[in-house]
Amino acid sequence: MPVDRDSSLLSPELLAQLERLELVTRKVFRGRMKGERRSKRKGQSVEFADFRNYVPGDDLRQLDWNLYARLEKLIVKLFMEEEDLHFYALVDASMSMDFGRPTKLDYAKQLAAALGFIGLIRADRVRIETLGQGVGEKSPILRGRQSVWRLLQHVEAIEPGESISLSEGIKNFCLRNRGRGVVVFISDLMDKGGYESALRYFVSHQVDCFVIQVLSQEELEPDVKGDLKLVDCEDADEAEITVSAPLLSRYQQTLNAFVAGAQDFCTRRGMHYMLANNQLPVEELVAKHLRRRGLVR
Amino acid sequence: MDSLFRNTLGPASWFLLSLIPLALFALYFLKLKRQPLEVPSTYLWHRVIEDLHVNSLWQRLRKSLLLFLQLLLLALAMLALLRPGWQGQALEGQQFIFLIDKSASMSATDTVSGESRLEEAKRRVETLIDQLDSDMTAMIIAFAEQPEVVQEFTDNRRLLREALDRIEPTASRTDLTGALELADGFANPRRLLTEEGEFEVSEQEQVELYIFSDGRFRGVEGFSLGNLQPLYLPIGSFAAQNLAITALNARRGEERPDQQQAFVQVANFGEQPQATVVELYLEDRLIDAVELEVPAGDVASTTFALAEEAAGQLRARLDPPQSFDDTLRLDNEAYAVLEDRRDARVLLVTPGNTTLESALATERANRLAKVEKMAPAEMEKPDYLLQSQSEVYDLIIYDQCVPQVMPLASTLFVGRLPPTDLWKQAEAEPVFGPQIIDWERGHPLLNLIELGNVQIVDTLITKPPLGGGVLVDSTKGPIFAIAPRDRYEDAVLGFEIVGHEEDGTRTYNTDWPRKHSFPTFWLNVLDYFAHESSSAATHNKPDLPVELRINSQEETLTVELPDSQRREVQLERVGRLAFHETGQLGVYKVYSGGQVAKQFAVNLFDREESDVRLRVKQEGEDGVQVVDSLSIGYVDVAAQSPGSPVRRELWKLLLAGALVVLVFEWYIYNRRVYI
Repeated sequence: MPVDRDSSLLSPELLAQLERLELVTRKVFRGRMKGERRSKRKGQSVEFADFRNYVPGDDLRQLDWNLYARLEKLIVKLFMEEEDLHFYALVDASMSMDFGRPTKLDYAKQLAAALGFIGLIRADRVRIETLGQGVGEKSPILRGRQSVWRLLQHVEAIEPGESISLSEGIKNFCLRNRGRGVVVFISDLMDKGGYESALRYFVSHQVDCFVIQVLSQEELEPDVKGDLKLVDCEDADEAEITVSAPLLSRYQQTLNAFVAGAQDFCTRRGMHYMLANNQLPVEELVAKHLRRRGLVR
Repeated sequence: MDSLFRNTLGPASWFLLSLIPLALFALYFLKLKRQPLEVPSTYLWHRVIEDLHVNSLWQRLRKSLLLFLQLLLLALAMLALLRPGWQGQALEGQQFIFLIDKSASMSATDTVSGESRLEEAKRRVETLIDQLDSDMTAMIIAFAEQPEVVQEFTDNRRLLREALDRIEPTASRTDLTGALELADGFANPRRLLTEEGEFEVSEQEQVELYIFSDGRFRGVEGFSLGNLQPLYLPIGSFAAQNLAITALNARRGEERPDQQQAFVQVANFGEQPQATVVELYLEDRLIDAVELEVPAGDVASTTFALAEEAAGQLRARLDPPQSFDDTLRLDNEAYAVLEDRRDARVLLVTPGNTTLESALATERANRLAKVEKMAPAEMEKPDYLLQSQSEVYDLIIYDQCVPQVMPLASTLFVGRLPPTDLWKQAEAEPVFGPQIIDWERGHPLLNLIELGNVQIVDTLITKPPLGGGVLVDSTKGPIFAIAPRDRYEDAVLGFEIVGHEEDGTRTYNTDWPRKHSFPTFWLNVLDYFAHESSSAATHNKPDLPVELRINSQEETLTVELPDSQRREVQLERVGRLAFHETGQLGVYKVYSGGQVAKQFAVNLFDREESDVRLRVKQEGEDGVQVVDSLSIGYVDVAAQSPGSPVRRELWKLLLAGALVVLVFEWYIYNRRVYI
């Protein structure tokens, strides 16, 4: 199995760890194909679900003849249906993600690959997209273990440099993907236009949304001193600061308020929010924190 | 401006200096070359900056903290260059001696507050004491005629203040030398014992000597200051006026010897002529009052006629007009004692001695005593016997004769030894040709006498009994001696003045009568033996001991001070009273067995003390009046201007502050992230 072609994204140890996991959603969606996930629909699995009266048109094969023999009533025996899950990973590949060590984008890609791998293992439909894709540019839908290699290739190909606002990107994403499912949005949420309007698209799209905000260590605890001219890498905006203790503490307050605001925003709207430091190993993030949040099991 | 600052730079330097802050400002505003740093997003930073901008002026100040520190540094340096200081009574040093003049002139009330100078001095010392640091020690010496350690070295300010309160004004003269010697004794030894224990004074330690005085005394000669650092703080004013009685005595008139006169001299130590009324009281009865016009800086005198038998306390009082500001009141009264005038009587027993008789018959001698003459043969008569045993005479001179019994009077034997065993120890035979070696110049009998040129043919050797003293010594032995006898004294002159040859012709035994010293000697004799009473006319100065001859057999006498306090005085020798407690001006009464035996007056009579103006040093053309300096030894101690003995400078403190600012700035620059 050509799984670990690119060990920089997913190491064998990580893969072995990930194989034991599966994606979870609190919502139950209707899948497209037969999968390993219980569906709302009654179907053809071996697991008994319910009885109901026969109405004309039902498949005769599903009649419970034993009951007919006893009760002389036509009762249809319903079974649970197992379906697949739509899993979308939406990666913010803007310039601002190209910071940190590892860069936030690498971190995001690694995370997307890991989650996608879990999806593939559990026979879910996995689609990895970036914010910058246009309405018509759909990423391939991957399914099954044999697609791991393609998944990795696809993730690997994501390059930083897209410049599109959060709301525009998410809007495009929603237009592209009608299907419902689990959306993991990996971004730093640093948009001068604000993230609120962007995230509202997810709400209206009725997906089970996980917002994972990736911030680098430099952003969380800036190690700067002196008189500086800060240049925004996206729009070349400048901010002149003279670093001082009150300034730094004020920054921390602002950052905390920002993070808390985002979390509050997401929680109110039924989305999951998580802050990821790029120093936190992906395996730990997935196995520990996301498991606790209920994305994986 | 000059009192607060002393500029140390010229205009050009100041100009250059003023460019520095301008340059600093320019650099500060030009410098803003900030280090560019690319960040993922300035999103949060902008919000931070906005927050901080909203957040008050202080943040802006904080941004410019370095600039402010640099400006502060510059300001401190400039201020230090201006040498700020104040004319304060600042103390520098570790040990202080405060010399406070408490002489009569310090009672003058010419200070701004209207208090006496002494009070002013005490007040100023008190402010100095207040400024003492805890590691400073000080002592206080008050001085007038006698110095007095009021408080030894201590760092206890309460003790010092209490000691200061104890200083009382006196009426005595000023003697700085004693005080300096006392201070020297305290300042220059290596170790001192104080209340707190042994105290080390190292060799190099300077002792600050603050002299608070009005400078009414002559300079001190022959004194080395050593470790003492003198500071002279004059107290008083140039314009002080004072009228003083500088003399009061009573005597017989030159023209009319039967009448007594009181002589009063008034001095005016002011810039303007001044009229004043002089009143004379006898036993508190006003005798007369005279108006005197006293020229500026001069004296005027007047005489008052007194009755022949007048006796008692004589008091002269100045009554200047209300408009006159007489700053010193101590010297407005003077005292004298009029003795119940009994003429001294002297009996000369001589076979005939023209030289001696004429020496005792001068006009001056007549004023001193009434001399009676008698032949030796008359000593057999009962009159003489009665008189000689009843204290009629003050002095009996036995010339070439000897009484059978010593009289109750002082005696002077010429050419014979007294008829008592005490004097008969030596060879009674005359010796030939003595040469005078030495004589007791300090004795009143030999006052102003030169004997070196006196030739003597022959003489008796006069060896005085125990307790006596030799007055003239020669190659052959003592030839003039004196010895006490009860309350009298016997003097024996060994050689005859006029001798008799075997055949009865007179010869000169000595050429002394041809010398100037001869009449002087006899005047001295009258003065010493007979005229003791008139010595009361000599002036007794306050705080100087008074020696009196008292006609009393008692060993303990009572002296009543002018303020009616009484003191018991033990006599060292019968008939001699030495009294030291003469601090007050006025008349002192000596009681013997309840009776007034003697009175004496103590007067100031000191032109130096009464002239209360500060001494002025002449200052060139500008006519600025400057207080004359004190000269101590070879050092001139310049007077410090009142109230500002020391200028305390701030620049060291400022520079230290600038250094601190510099260090702080460096710290801020390196660690400002944390501020």
